[in-house]
Amino acid sequence: MKPIVVGSLESSDCLITLTPSKTTTITIESIVYDAFGDAIEQVIKQTLKHHGLHDVHVYVQDKGALDYAIEARLTSAIKRYRSEADES
Amino acid sequence: MKPIYYNLNDLFKTLTLFDGMGISFHHHLRNGDAITNLITTEFHHRNLKKLRLFPSAIFPSYHGILTLLKADQVDTITTNYLNGPVADYFAKHGKPNSLKMQTHGGRARAFIEGENKVDIAFVTAPTVDREGRASGAQGKSACGSLGYAIEDVHYASTVVLITDNLVDALDHYQIDGTTVDAILVVESLGDARGIVSGTTSITNDPVGVKIARNATNLIQELGLIKPGFSFQSGAGGISLRVTESIKTLLRDKNITASFFSGGITKYHVDMLEEGLVKTLYDVQCFDLDAIKSIDKNPQHKAISANDYANPNNPHRIIKDLDIVILGATEIDLDFNVNVTTDSYNTIIGGSGGHSDTATDAFVSFIVTPLMKARTPIIKERVNTITTLGKHIDCLITERGIAINPRRHDLLEQLKDSHLDIVSIETLMARAHHYTGSPQKTQPKKQPIGVVEDRDGTIIDTLYTKE
Amino acid sequence: MSRSYLFIPGDVPRMLQNLDVFDADSIIIDFEDSVAIDQKDEARLLTQAFLSKHHFKELDLYIRVNDVSQKTLFEADMQAIKALNIHGIVLPKVTLEALDSVDAFFDRENITFPIIGIIETPLAVLEAQTIAKHKRIQGLLLGAEDLTKDLGTTRTLDAEEILFARSQIVFAAKAYQKEAIDTPYVFVRDEAGLAVDAQRAARLGFTAKASIHPNHVETIHHYFSPSKEAIHEAKRIVAQSKKLNSMRFSLDGSMVDKPVIDRAKALLKRAEKYGVLS
Repeated sequence: MKPIVVGSLESSDCLITLTPSKTTTITIESIVYDAFGDAIEQVIKQTLKHHGLHDVHVYVQDKGALDYAIEARLTSAIKRYRSEADES
Repeated sequence: MKPIYYNLNDLFKTLTLFDGMGISFHHHLRNGDAITNLITTEFHHRNLKKLRLFPSAIFPSYHGILTLLKADQVDTITTNYLNGPVADYFAKHGKPNSLKMQTHGGRARAFIEGENKVDIAFVTAPTVDREGRASGAQGKSACGSLGYAIEDVHYASTVVLITDNLVDALDHYQIDGTTVDAILVVESLGDARGIVSGTTSITNDPVGVKIARNATNLIQELGLIKPGFSFQSGAGGISLRVTESIKTLLRDKNITASFFSGGITKYHVDMLEEGLVKTLYDVQCFDLDAIKSIDKNPQHKAISANDYANPNNPHRIIKDLDIVILGATEIDLDFNVNVTTDSYNTIIGGSGGHSDTATDAFVSFIVTPLMKARTPIIKERVNTITTLGKHIDCLITERGIAINPRRHDLLEQLKDSHLDIVSIETLMARAHHYTGSPQKTQPKKQPIGVVEDRDGTIIDTLYTKE
Repeated sequence: MSRSYLFIPGDVPRMLQNLDVFDADSIIIDFEDSVAIDQKDEARLLTQAFLSKHHFKELDLYIRVNDVSQKTLFEADMQAIKALNIHGIVLPKVTLEALDSVDAFFDRENITFPIIGIIETPLAVLEAQTIAKHKRIQGLLLGAEDLTKDLGTTRTLDAEEILFARSQIVFAAKAYQKEAIDTPYVFVRDEAGLAVDAQRAARLGFTAKASIHPNHVETIHHYFSPSKEAIHEAKRIVAQSKKLNSMRFSLDGSMVDKPVIDRAKALLKRAEKYGVLS
């Protein structure tokens, strides 16, 4: 299965890449990591939990996206990931 | 007649060089400057140690200074502004007490009062005559005003002018030549494309436009646009947008301003040529239009940093300034402003004239987005104080305006205003409503230097990043 | 009643989260033309997530959904937004037939959003009156770019090519007390052109103008706000009515009665809302 890539590297946005993984792993690169790294990680964990997803690697390249945008981008990525997984 | 050299080696043979000496440069050629590199590289090759450097600013292209730092040949750097590789080197490897950040006015004061002791000033001068008179307004490397170099010329023990345009005699000059000791003629002072910064354009970003509109409305409500008023704005996109709005107001109301000061751009020149302002006091030209204008418009006057902003000069221009529009990287609940570092000790600039003009202007305005992406600009405490909060009067963002509570007079004037005026704490809360509260920042590391206010007071400490 | 309707792309966080700083009276979050086909779901999710967290009292929010002939997109858009706290939807490529489909869908799904229909085909211009009359329609918005394509002509600053459409929309809307919203001016940096275009539309009787760039809002407000003279006149009428405690009197030789007084009051209310009263 190909990685799922969603979002953009524009200011206030983020690019999220999902790849299959045995367990949940999260990598965050953010221009606001020092100030908001924990908050970003929390949104990602909550969103994964909400969708009951436990077997992906989440790679976030963040350009200062607010929580709602990270949540929406990840939700979109998860939907695509699921439909790709169903097809294959 | 001054001694004229056509070869760097011949010049250096005549100079007294020693470990611990102080040398100075100006930054009017900005990123196009080849001479600061030429001279500092020569000092590197001659293996001079414990140098004290006094560049008025350091730009990303100044790699010669980086070489000296890496070779441990520098004792201290005293400057008004730095960014790029030299700034990054300081943030990583800066030694204790190796960096002093001054203001433009403070630098002039420190030269005059003997605090900045300079043995040789290397003054890049786009046009020089045989008497050592010099002008920045002409020549293939013209940069306009030489304002930041004038005190170097008057107060350094030895003064060397460096030019790529030697003429027989100059009628109009900014440096009178009396204190000049030698002239070095080179092929080229640098890359003309880098001399003009090219970054001075009006913002069209809708958030920036909103901030500028809020600023213009506030300035109007405060009744500051009246015949004979004076104004200074930086070259930032939002500041220039405010300048453009004021131009429209002056036209509509048929008002003439007395002067604009500081860094001058096309937008200021247009207003001079349209008769909307009587005089431009130019300490630094930001673009080609300003450079052309200073050569042809008699009311576009080049002034020295001393005449511009030295706090101990009773005739300084900015003493009469009504309005100044400035930016901020961070501002805190006490209105202290940081334009020197980011929140994590990376050095990104410096005061320039920020503190000078904020202190002297009748009303100082900070224009900035409330948030840059997810970063709230208002902090509980700024990482580095560039300008003390007591000198900052109004903060204008896209989501509201805060007035420094010290300015009872302004608050009284604005008490019935329709503008969205709130406390700075409320503005910070508005930002956090979107961004969330930031985590606490990392602890300070090794101290590397200080921020000196224009009167010589140390107002903050600079630290390494790692 | 708004003076300005500003389109914001639904899939650009930087614009979305600033939608309240641009001073527009109404915002139209766009899921249609400014969102690429593979980004439609992104726009829905971003808008949903944003509007669930942030609420705007002072601002009327609309969403431009995809047109009803693209059934899957349209229905997915509606499912995504039906629970959101918005003022209404903007429906592209409206015709009577399209409106019937939407009407049936809204009945089925129990959706009550008012609709601003975009008149952007020759058929829609001809049907404008009946469209305006429809109970779900709040206003008509001219989409001149698509319309001129269908007409086989080009848009000019002179705007002769859309004069009939503009007038037709104004008449249809006014006949049924609906809003008449003029087409956006598409040359983003041409402020002088925008001023000419906005003034012309205001003179024809449009109540508002749409825009595709935030920097156009200020100029639009200038031409669509009650004028100083109109405000002054309305103030005099209301004051005189109060003074005489009468709803029927003569002022400067002309007769003033209840509809005139009500109109004056409504104008002052709008002027106050827009901050142009004083």
